[in-house]
Amino acid sequence: MPFREINSKMVEAVVSPGQRMFSQRGAMLAYRGEVSFTPNLAGGQGGLMSMIGRRAAGEDTPLMTVEGSGTVLFGHGGHHVQVIELTGDTLYVEADRLLAFDGTLRQGTVFLGSQGGVMGMVRGQVSGQGLFTTSLQGQGAVAVMAHGGVIRLPITPDRPVHVDPQAYVAHHGDVRNKLSTALGWRDMVGRGSGEAFQLELSGSGAVYVQASEEKL
Amino acid sequence: MFRLQGSRVLAVDLTGDTVKAKNGSMVAYEGRMAFKKTTGGGEGLRGVVTRRLTGEQMEVMEVSGQGTCFFADRASEINLVSLRGEKMYVEASNLLCTDGGVRTGTSFTGLRGGASGNGLFTTTLEGTGQAAIMSDGPAVVLRVTPQYPLSVDPGAYVAHQGNLRQSFQSGVTFRTLLGEGGGEAFQIRFEGDGLVYVQPSERNTVGGDV
Repeated sequence: MPFREINSKMVEAVVSPGQRMFSQRGAMLAYRGEVSFTPNLAGGQGGLMSMIGRRAAGEDTPLMTVEGSGTVLFGHGGHHVQVIELTGDTLYVEADRLLAFDGTLRQGTVFLGSQGGVMGMVRGQVSGQGLFTTSLQGQGAVAVMAHGGVIRLPITPDRPVHVDPQAYVAHHGDVRNKLSTALGWRDMVGRGSGEAFQLELSGSGAVYVQASEEKL
Repeated sequence: MFRLQGSRVLAVDLTGDTVKAKNGSMVAYEGRMAFKKTTGGGEGLRGVVTRRLTGEQMEVMEVSGQGTCFFADRASEINLVSLRGEKMYVEASNLLCTDGGVRTGTSFTGLRGGASGNGLFTTTLEGTGQAAIMSDGPAVVLRVTPQYPLSVDPGAYVAHQGNLRQSFQSGVTFRTLLGEGGGEAFQIRFEGDGLVYVQPSERNTVGGDV
C-alpha cells in the first residue's frame, strides 16, 4: 500500500529505489529522504507515440516522475483526495483529476466513441469529459482528486447506477456506460428539473461520485 | 428514510414515496427515479404567488420512485433534522431536501433579513418528517433557554426551531460611522426556548462590511 491518507486532503506516499511513481506536476507538498522530481515531458508512460496520442486527445496533464527513497506528501488545490486500490482491473478517470499513481500501473488513453459510438462522443461532451479519457490498469493504487467528499457506489448486474455527469469522478471494473436522457416537454419550455442527462452505468464494478456538481 | 454518506452526501431510500429536493442536486441514484420540477416550491398556486412576491424563491423538484437517491450540493455539509410537529425556520438557499410529511411555507422575518442578506422573508418547515439542511462548514447547534439568550452574526445564521423570539440588535457607534467598526455591527438576538443552527462561515452581508 504505497499511499496513506494523512487527512481528507493529503496523502503520503512511500518511494523506494527502483519503484517509480507519477504525480501531477506541482502537487508535492513536502518530502523526507532522497527523492527526485523530474518533469515528464511525455505526460506519463509509454513512448513517443503515447505522448503524441495524449497531446492529440487533450489528456496531457503535466506529470512528473518521482524516484528515490523516502516519503512524499501530495495534495493539490485543497481538493479532497480519494485513494483507489486496483487489483488487475481498469480505472477510467479524467487526466486532470489524477493526483498521483503507482508506476506499476499501465496508463492509456481511451476514445469514448469506442464505447457506444456516436452516443459515446455525445456523452463525453455533455459530461465535460471531452472525447477522450485516461485509463489505468494493473496492480497498484491511484490518488484521485474531487471537489467535496467522494462516495463509492457498487454496481452489480441487477443494480445499475445513474450518475449526474457533473458529479461523476471515476469508475472501475467491467462497466458499460451510456447517456440516458429524461428530456420532456418541461425541459423544452425551460421548466426542467436540472436532471435531464444522466450517465447510466451497468455491469459489475464501482463508480466514484463527488459531493458537488462543480468541475475541478 | 434519510441517511448521511459521509458528511456531504445525503442518501434517501424511496419506496414509491415522494421527496422534495433542491433543483439539480441529485448526484447519483440506484433503481428507478423520476424527477419533476415544481413551481413555487411545490406549494401550489398560493406558493407561486407568495414566493414570487417575497423573493424567497425556491427551485424545487419532486423525486419519486423505488431505490436509493443521492443528493449533494457544492460540497456543503449536510445536517439532518427530524420534525415532530414543531415549526422550523430556514433560508430557502440552505434547504436541500424534505420528505413528504413536511410542509413548506414562507414567513416574514422582519428587519433581520435585510441585514443578513437573505431578504425579508424566510422559509418555514412544518409537520412530521425529516429535512436536510445545508451549511458552509459543519454547523453547530446552540440551545437557547430563557436564562441564556443568544446573539448570532446574521451571516452565520442557518436555521432555528422552537419557541424563539428574535430581535435585531445593532452595535453601531460613532466609530462605525468613521469606518473604524469591528465588522460586527449587527446581530440577531434569540430569546425564549429553542435551537439555533450556526455555520462556521459568514455570508456577505451588509452588516459585515461596517
